[in-house]
Amino acid sequence: MATPAALSPRGGLPAVRLDHGPVWRLWWQRNERLALGAFGLVLLMAMWELVVRLGLVRALFVSSPSGIVRAFAEALDRGTLWTDISISLAEFALGYVAAAILGIVIGIAAGWYRRLNYIASPWLAAWYATPHIALIPLIILWFGIGLQYKVFYVFLVSFFSVVINALAGVQSAEAKYLEVAKSFRASQATVFRTVVLPGSLPFILTGLRLAAGRAWVGVVVSELVGANQGLGFMINLAGTMLDTGRAMMGIVMLGIFGVALGEVLGRVEKRFDVWRPQRA
Amino acid sequence: MGKLEALDICMEYLQARTGNRMLAIDRLNLVIENGSFVSLVGPSGCGKTTFLKIVDGLLAPTGGQLLLDGRSITEPGRERAVVFQDSSLFPWFTVVRNVAYGLECQGVKPADARERVQPFIKMVGLEGFENHYPYELSGGMQQRANLARALAVDPELLLMDEPFASLDAQTRELMQEELLGIWRQSQKTVLFITHAISEAVYLSDRVLVMGPRPGRVIEDLHIDIPRPRPLKVKRTPQFLDYEDRVWSLIEAQVKRDMAGGNGAGGQVLG
Repeated sequence: MATPAALSPRGGLPAVRLDHGPVWRLWWQRNERLALGAFGLVLLMAMWELVVRLGLVRALFVSSPSGIVRAFAEALDRGTLWTDISISLAEFALGYVAAAILGIVIGIAAGWYRRLNYIASPWLAAWYATPHIALIPLIILWFGIGLQYKVFYVFLVSFFSVVINALAGVQSAEAKYLEVAKSFRASQATVFRTVVLPGSLPFILTGLRLAAGRAWVGVVVSELVGANQGLGFMINLAGTMLDTGRAMMGIVMLGIFGVALGEVLGRVEKRFDVWRPQRA
Repeated sequence: MGKLEALDICMEYLQARTGNRMLAIDRLNLVIENGSFVSLVGPSGCGKTTFLKIVDGLLAPTGGQLLLDGRSITEPGRERAVVFQDSSLFPWFTVVRNVAYGLECQGVKPADARERVQPFIKMVGLEGFENHYPYELSGGMQQRANLARALAVDPELLLMDEPFASLDAQTRELMQEELLGIWRQSQKTVLFITHAISEAVYLSDRVLVMGPRPGRVIEDLHIDIPRPRPLKVKRTPQFLDYEDRVWSLIEAQVKRDMAGGNGAGGQVLG
C-alpha cells in the first residue's frame, strides 16, 4: 500500500537496458525507428533520381530530387520564395487564429448555455457539412482576390472544426464530476473553471489540430483559384509553365510546413495533457 | 453535533421508458446519533445510494423530512460531505488540489487551502504524493485522497458511498482498519453505504439492513464489539454471528433477484 506500483516516472515506458552485446547492436536498439525511417526516405529518393536519369520516365512530368533542389536554389536567388512563403503563412496565421479564438469562445458558450446551443446548432451542422469550396466565387465577389479573401476562406474552413469540438467538449462534462462539484456547493463559475473547462480541453485541442490541417489546405486552395502571390500561386504558375521542378519544390514546402505545424500542435497538446497517462 | 434523523423518506421516480411510477424508497426512518458510525447494507437496487444522495442534498425526496441536528436538509451544505465511489477525483488536478477542492468551493484562497489541507493529507498517509495526479496513484491511495477531500471541509456528517467497493480484498481490509483510526481521531458522525456485510459489521456501531425495493430499514442491529477493533475480530464467533444475522435477512432477497424476479432498473438506482 505504502509503495504504490502505479508510480512510474512520467512519460514513456520504463527503459529496458541491455548492457551487453556489441556497440552497434545497442545503437540499433536505440535508433531503429529513426534509422529505418531515414533509410526509406533515401531509398525512394535515390530510385526516383535513378529512373529519371536513366530516361525511364521523363523529367518534364515528374522532375527529380536534384531538379527540386535546383528549383529551390533558383527561387532563393530570385528572392520570390520568401515572399511566397511569408504570404501563405500570413494567410494561414490570420485565418486560423481568428477561427481558433472565435471557435473556442462560441463553442464553449454554445455548450454551456443550452438555449444558445439550440439556436446555433442547426447553423453549425449545416455549415460544417457544406463544402466550403463552393463559396469561393462568392467570397471573391465580396473581397476580390487579395489577402482578405484568402484569410476569410481559411477562417471559414477551420472555424467549424473548432466550434463543434469545443461544444462537444463542454457537453461531455461527466455527471460524476458535476455531482462532486454540486456536493461541495461549487458556484457556477467554479463548476465551469474546475470541471467543464478542464474536461473539454482535450476536445478543444483535437478541434484545433483538425482545424490547422483544414486551414493549411484552405490556404493552397484559395491561392490556386485566385492569387498573384503565395505557395499555391507559385505551384499553379510553375505547372502552367511546365516547370515541374518548381511545382514539386512548392509541394515539398507545403509538406514541410504541414509537418512542422503538426509537431507544434502535438507539443501544445502534450503540455496540457500532464494529467493523463502518457501513451508510449 | 451531527445527529441525523430521517422521517418517512420516500422517493418516487417516473420511469422514462414506460412512464410508470416507481417507488425506490418507501417511508424510510432512521436516527443516527452524534458521533456514531452507522452502516446501511442491502442488496443492489435497494435504494441505499439514492438515500445517501438525498441526505447530501443532491436529490430531493418526494416525501418525508430530513433533519440534521434538528435543522431541515434540502440542499448540499458544508456540514455534510460525501466520500464518493471510486474514480471521483478530478483527473486533471493533483492530489493536493483535489483534497483542497471543497475549500476552493468555499472561496478559500488556493495558497491558504493548500496549507489547510496538509493535516488531512497527512492523516490519510499521502504525504509526498501532493503533486501527483490521480492516475499515478493506486486505487487505495485514490480513495484515501477522496476521504481527505471530504474531511478537509470539516463536516459534521460524513457520507460514504461504497468507497472501498473497487479495491482488492487485502487493500480493502487495511483501508477499513485505517478508516476506523481516522474516524476515532476526527470524531465525525458517519453514514456508510456498502453491500459488503463483513465490512458493515466490522466498521459500525449499528448496521441498518435495508429490504428490497422499495427500500426501507428492516433491521437495526447494534454491534457490541469493543473498540478499537483489530482486523482479527473478524474471525471471532461473535463477529461471525453478526454477519450471519445480517446475511439471513438479505439472503432471501438476493436469491429472489438472482432467480430473475427483479425487473429492469434494479441496478440503476444502486
